[in-house]
Amino acid sequence: MAFSQHNLGTVIAFEFMRTIKKKGFVVATLAIPVVLVVVFALIFASNSSTEASADAQKNSAIAFTYTDASGVIPPQMAQAAGGKSASDPDAALAAVKDGSSEAYFAYPAEPASQPVKVYGADKGVFENGKYEAVAKQVLNAAAQAQVGNPQLTAALSGGVDFESETYRDGKVSGGFGSVIPPMLFLILFYVAMILLSNQMLNSTLEEKENRVTEMILTTLNPTTPITGKIISLFAVGLVQMLVFLAPVAAGYLFFRDSLALPDMDLSILVFEPGPILVGALLLLGGFTLFTGVLVAIGAIMPTAKEAGTIFGPLMAAMFIPFYAYSLIISDPKSLIVQVFTYFPLTAPVTAMLRNGFGTLTGVEAGIVIAELFIVGILILRLAVHLFRYGSIEYGKKLSIVGTFRRSELAAK
Amino acid sequence: MTLGDAAEPLVHIQDFRMNFGDKTVIKDLSFDVRAGETFGFLGSNGSGKTTTLRALLGIYQPTAGTLHIGGKAFEPRDGARLGYLPEERGLYKKEAVLDVMVYFGRLKGLSKAGARSWSQDYLERVGLADKATARLDKLSGGQQQKVQLGATIMNDPELLILDEPTKGFDPVNQRLLMDIIEEQKLAGATVIMVTHQMEEVERLCDRVILLKDGTARAYGTVSEVQEEFGGTVYRVTYEGILPASALYDVVTDTGGRAELAPRAGATEAGVLRELVEAGVAVRSFTTARVSLEEIFIQVYGEQQMAEVQ
Repeated sequence: MAFSQHNLGTVIAFEFMRTIKKKGFVVATLAIPVVLVVVFALIFASNSSTEASADAQKNSAIAFTYTDASGVIPPQMAQAAGGKSASDPDAALAAVKDGSSEAYFAYPAEPASQPVKVYGADKGVFENGKYEAVAKQVLNAAAQAQVGNPQLTAALSGGVDFESETYRDGKVSGGFGSVIPPMLFLILFYVAMILLSNQMLNSTLEEKENRVTEMILTTLNPTTPITGKIISLFAVGLVQMLVFLAPVAAGYLFFRDSLALPDMDLSILVFEPGPILVGALLLLGGFTLFTGVLVAIGAIMPTAKEAGTIFGPLMAAMFIPFYAYSLIISDPKSLIVQVFTYFPLTAPVTAMLRNGFGTLTGVEAGIVIAELFIVGILILRLAVHLFRYGSIEYGKKLSIVGTFRRSELAAK
Repeated sequence: MTLGDAAEPLVHIQDFRMNFGDKTVIKDLSFDVRAGETFGFLGSNGSGKTTTLRALLGIYQPTAGTLHIGGKAFEPRDGARLGYLPEERGLYKKEAVLDVMVYFGRLKGLSKAGARSWSQDYLERVGLADKATARLDKLSGGQQQKVQLGATIMNDPELLILDEPTKGFDPVNQRLLMDIIEEQKLAGATVIMVTHQMEEVERLCDRVILLKDGTARAYGTVSEVQEEFGGTVYRVTYEGILPASALYDVVTDTGGRAELAPRAGATEAGVLRELVEAGVAVRSFTTARVSLEEIFIQVYGEQQMAEVQ
């Protein structure tokens, strides 16, 4: 037993170290934080120039002409903003076209149903926005003057916040704040699979392609290398996530204002134990299932290239539930959603989505979790079997049935 | 862990049968390998040698029969000191030589420092000290094989199983390899060797088995097998033409050099007299045992011999 544990530790250390020492891994892992740092730097520089531009725009007045068919614009208000009433719309437009006037606004007879026409001298995409801003500001000020009540003006312009509270079983339900925490498991699942799936696929292929299987199988119980590889891959994935998150966390903690990152109010999150537990179990079950499938494919296929033909469709199965995203949320009892909920390859994502939005019942959650773990463990056992009896089939695609009846093994 | 009782055979194979689908590859094969001996496992390509070794090591499941090492079916988890050099060579090609050797040393129960120290000494000996940090795929095929042999023997194995160990080696490195195997033998290891190098088998092996079409065609000490297949031969260098005779069969004749297998009742003097009386100018006449190579040719035929060479 001690010898097995010693070997498991040796396998984990070897697999972990040789993965993180690979140039490709280092480049790919470091590329993302480097890109993030570059993006943050660009945002920082952009924010500085944007602020300067905004200040300049705010302080610069434009001289414009206007016509007001509605009669809602008080002349003195327009004049205060730099406007001058025009009597001939065509002449005012012609003046803008020939450059003798900076801008011309044509307020229609019914602004509620007709657009306000804004004409201006071209000053670039960013600068051109100020014409519409000024036209809108004049109209808003005119409306507020007519209503005579700032609260009503705010209500009319959609500037009022609403706070909802709903109840379930006599208690305040979490609302959208309770959706986010369980959905984090879905994000973790996707991140883990995107980062690790290719390495899972190649983990047993490598022994086969390198013709090292017999040396391994006569030194280790076949469960040990598979288990060691999975644990090391998990550790590798954690390292990658930490490296990816480091610049984001540093940026958020130390440069939030400079980078104009939103100040997240974490108090809105509601951590409900049930959905959190179900989400965690679905994540573990889904990870077990996909790991088993990928390792088994690696044991069956002779080369990484050929394994890729199966790998693509398999990964697509993870994203298929998103095509029925709205149906999963709005009509969880529909046939297609039920199929996605219980079909092993689509079950993790579908169930995690439903768990997040609160439509996965306790019974359904229990069935799906049990299914994922049972099928996942069975497939992992199959993967170990295929590794033991199939991975010496160097250069050949393996028949799964053949490994059981030993009919495909080449005689020597 | 030590492998079994010294009084019992270290390897015991009894009524081993192996089917691949409808095809029977091994037919009720039985033999023993005793502790401390060097055992030659001989046979043409496709005769079932590697299949037998894989079944012995648990890589294949036998259709029927008993295959024991140290009194029980082999399990890696038992921690027996076994060294196996498979016919299909390969290690982790993208890793450094020393890293791979240390890895296998650790798996075989050595400490990290012990595995590193042993590996460095071994690489020095086989002329690869300067390749310790090089990736395996940067080495030649022969150099990679030396590394794999090192990974095979670094746990000082009690049982060393070598499947065509000289394959891919030049004569100089074949000599080096055989020296290393001989050292293992002298250190007390039991060695099972699949090879087509008959001279080395005669030099190193205590006992042999010849496998043909999945059955044992011959089994015993080298002398016993030689005796079974004709016992002695007369090696003659001569001028003239060898006559047909009732006293001998011509085993080989290259025109000036021949091996004659005496028939029952024939004597050295009788054969020599007949040659001289037939006008053959005999330059030398010696008695020798029939070589394993000649036995191999007898058993497998000229065509298969050409195939294995």
